[in-house]
Amino acid sequence: MSFWSRFANVFRTGRLERELDEELQFHIDARIRELTAAGMTREAAAAEVARRFGNPLRLREESRDVKLLPWLDSLVRDVRLGARMLRKHSVVTSAAVVSLSLALGACVAAFSLVDALILRPLPVRQPERLVYLAFPTYTPERPEADTFNDPLFVSLRDAARRRVDLFAMSTQVMRPARFADSGDEKEQVRTQFVSGDAFDRLGVMPAAGRVFAADDDRQPGAHPVAIVSHAFWVRRFGGDPAIVGRWFALEDRQFQIVGVAERRFAGVEPGRPTDVWLPYAMYNPRAFGNFAFGWFRVMGRVKENVRFEEAQSVLQAAFTRVRRDRAAQFFGPGQSPEVIARFVATPLYLQSAATGPSPLRRQFERPLWILIAIAALVVLIAGSNVANLFLARTAAREHEMALRLSIGAGRGRLIQQMLVESALAAGAACACGLLFGKVAAPAVVGMLTSPDDPVHLDLRVDWRFAAFAGALTLLTTALFGIAPALRASRATPMTSLKTSGGRVGERASVMRPFVAIQVAFGLVVLFVGSLLVLSFARLSSVNPGFATSDVLLLWLEPVQRVDANQQRRTLLQVLDHLRAVPGVVAVSSAEFNALGRAWTYNLRLPGTQYDTIEATMAPVTPGYFETMRIPLLEGRAFVARDLDANSTAIVVNETLAKRYFAGGPAIGRTVEARFGEIDEKGIHEIVGVVADARYDLRQPAAPTVYIPLRLRTTGTIHVRVAGDPVALASRLREDVRATTRSFRVTSITSQSAVVERTLLRERLLALLSGFFALIGLVLAAVGLYGVLSYAVVRRTREIGIRMALGARQSRVVRTVLAETAGTTMIGAACGLAGALYLSRFVETLLFEVKPLDFWSLALPLGTLFAAALLAAALPAWRAVRVDPVVALRYE
Amino acid sequence: MARQDALQGSLPLLVLKLLARRGPLHGYAVATRIEGMSDDTLRVEEGSLYPALHRLEEAGWIKARWAKTETGRRARVYEITAAGRRQLESEEVRWKAITAAIGKILKHA
Repeated sequence: MSFWSRFANVFRTGRLERELDEELQFHIDARIRELTAAGMTREAAAAEVARRFGNPLRLREESRDVKLLPWLDSLVRDVRLGARMLRKHSVVTSAAVVSLSLALGACVAAFSLVDALILRPLPVRQPERLVYLAFPTYTPERPEADTFNDPLFVSLRDAARRRVDLFAMSTQVMRPARFADSGDEKEQVRTQFVSGDAFDRLGVMPAAGRVFAADDDRQPGAHPVAIVSHAFWVRRFGGDPAIVGRWFALEDRQFQIVGVAERRFAGVEPGRPTDVWLPYAMYNPRAFGNFAFGWFRVMGRVKENVRFEEAQSVLQAAFTRVRRDRAAQFFGPGQSPEVIARFVATPLYLQSAATGPSPLRRQFERPLWILIAIAALVVLIAGSNVANLFLARTAAREHEMALRLSIGAGRGRLIQQMLVESALAAGAACACGLLFGKVAAPAVVGMLTSPDDPVHLDLRVDWRFAAFAGALTLLTTALFGIAPALRASRATPMTSLKTSGGRVGERASVMRPFVAIQVAFGLVVLFVGSLLVLSFARLSSVNPGFATSDVLLLWLEPVQRVDANQQRRTLLQVLDHLRAVPGVVAVSSAEFNALGRAWTYNLRLPGTQYDTIEATMAPVTPGYFETMRIPLLEGRAFVARDLDANSTAIVVNETLAKRYFAGGPAIGRTVEARFGEIDEKGIHEIVGVVADARYDLRQPAAPTVYIPLRLRTTGTIHVRVAGDPVALASRLREDVRATTRSFRVTSITSQSAVVERTLLRERLLALLSGFFALIGLVLAAVGLYGVLSYAVVRRTREIGIRMALGARQSRVVRTVLAETAGTTMIGAACGLAGALYLSRFVETLLFEVKPLDFWSLALPLGTLFAAALLAAALPAWRAVRVDPVVALRYE
Repeated sequence: MARQDALQGSLPLLVLKLLARRGPLHGYAVATRIEGMSDDTLRVEEGSLYPALHRLEEAGWIKARWAKTETGRRARVYEITAAGRRQLESEEVRWKAITAAIGKILKHA
């Protein structure tokens, strides 16, 4: 008989046993017939056969073990029994399963995000040999940069040609495209410019047509070809192979689709899949040979047999050479020698690009690991609860265990049975957790995404994910299964069968470590959670320096390319029209939204001790300060005539004025800077000082220079409204359409939505960690409550005797609580130590909150002790209410 | 007890031989044949024949099917397989070698 038939027999033991019985009975009947035929009475014959035949039950068991897989058989029996036991205690079981699955689900969800964003290598040939280049910028806002310009790239590529194949991949930008079947609507597609050899270097093949070759990248502007991604091809064209060879419009140029990239490749940035790739040579023609245009990342494949250090040193030499040549032009003659030396000696980092360079990862890697850690701690807390639950039940089942031991069950079998029960509960929790995680992870990704920057994470189930879920199930089983199992196997038939009371203290002490674990981990989770929540609260209450409510933002896009002067006139006309709309209080336009991206410029301040300073540059129209409610401190705001080409007026913020013109008035001072290509003179006069407004909520306002929005073609219209902003939005859109055909409103958002979006990471983190801190707290309290009530129940008789002997109520309460009070304190102390140690990993994510602040410590500790008191109150009350008469009759 | 011990280890050999010679048999027939042919010297504890049969079946040396007997009852009938015949051959050789060796010692010791 094969393994499989034995395997199958495990699941049809009923039939197997019937057949075995029938076979044995046939023999017995035949023998009886023979003996009666020889003259015995029927009874005598039956007795003789029974003597000669042996114990049929034992024989059946022996044959049965031959015919199936005994180990599997015992396991199946345990599963059946375990399921019955769990069903019998359904409330307790479901509470355990729900709390565990919530924590497991959170772990799984966080892990699937970690897997997609951090762990999974790029789906290209030998991703481990891929690198990208980066260098420090020595600014606090952006410590490391990885954007390069064309001439620097060419120098680096040529210098390192023999050791590493460098190629360029631009930053991804959403651009409007119009396909043959698009009609009037333009679609936003995520585009990326790549050097002709990029696909070849990465090892990406076409799914249809071809990928770029070096020939697609020879002459600036001469290669209007495009590759679309597989996902975009399927999403937009239904996977139609006929699209290869078709032309489409991107912004105002025509491109021909020459191929579709292979399915698994969606660009090198996890979370930000590219829709359309274009040749490097098709980028803005002014970028070529221009050191001022940083627009792409330099990636490379290190050649076989070349060490990374070797490639790095060659690249470093070339980088330093270029920087030395550039230093003279980059800095004015008055620049300090230290800064120049630092500029020249800037190191060039060769970073691994095996998982793809990703700003999204840089932003979310730490939060994700923190969430996994928090969820894991909650798993431990929930697991400890389940362990105590099982321990309590094991004690209640001691009779059963003792009975089984005394009729010959091995201790191994008892352990097995208890472990099977735990595994069933853990398995159920894991299954629920997986479902929960499968829903939760995409929901989190959904929160990260926005129309102008869609995030797609590939949250597939791969071997890493399966291994993680499996390991988690095993770990939880081991965690809360082993202690009860060992406890069960130590049952002593003699004492257990005699009494039902017995060694109470010993049993409660088995549970004590779990209580300590729960309290410790509960405190860690609470501490980290409250730090993040406090930090978010501080961050959201930061005064940005402008009024965020009642401001609508109209994002614009030019429809046709016209003369820049014409464009500006139209924009001002539109602003005038909008100003007349009822409900509109103020209207202005700014190139950058506050809290958005802003350019940093180098300025010279003649007549001060500072030679060159860095300042944020913000082009705005007159009325901007009024719209945003940024108070004017000195001088005047912009007026209409400042938009004329010969106006030199600029406005600075308080920080700039105070820091660089300390003591003296800022009004009337001169600032030298070239803010745009059209600005020939580069000499400006400060006419006003406004209060600080932050461009980044996390940072104090940087020195800022407001210049009149002159020849920028697009900007964002800021509208301050009175009344319901939502109701006005469509009216405003209509008005813009009625006034002009040269640009169009792409979207309307409120300023407060923008604020919310910039706090997204902190909000997500505070929300999720706060939620899990709460769950952890409740679970720890429930665990404490369970152990205490159990202790009271087990000691009812003792309490009764004490009270009968005249013990005071307070004394009884103290006896009950004393057991766990010490444990709680030890747990809290360990938890506090752990929390303080771990806080260093959270610190970089905190805003104006320090782990050692009063509130950072008081909040979690206070909450924990309050919860512990609450958990202890009910059992203590019950202990006091014990009636000595009832208690003594209890046995 | 003594009679049973005599069978220790040799029961599979006897069962295989019997099935090879006398064709398909049910368990009761196997038991009575062994007793009858050995003039009651080798009497099995009758029930223990069955686990032995099932082990042989599990090893693939015999196969079983349900068949109707003359009395109309269902009986499980065993039959030797090709693998069983090969096993029988090697078991027989081994058995003969052992008994010959024991005989030699009994004679010359």
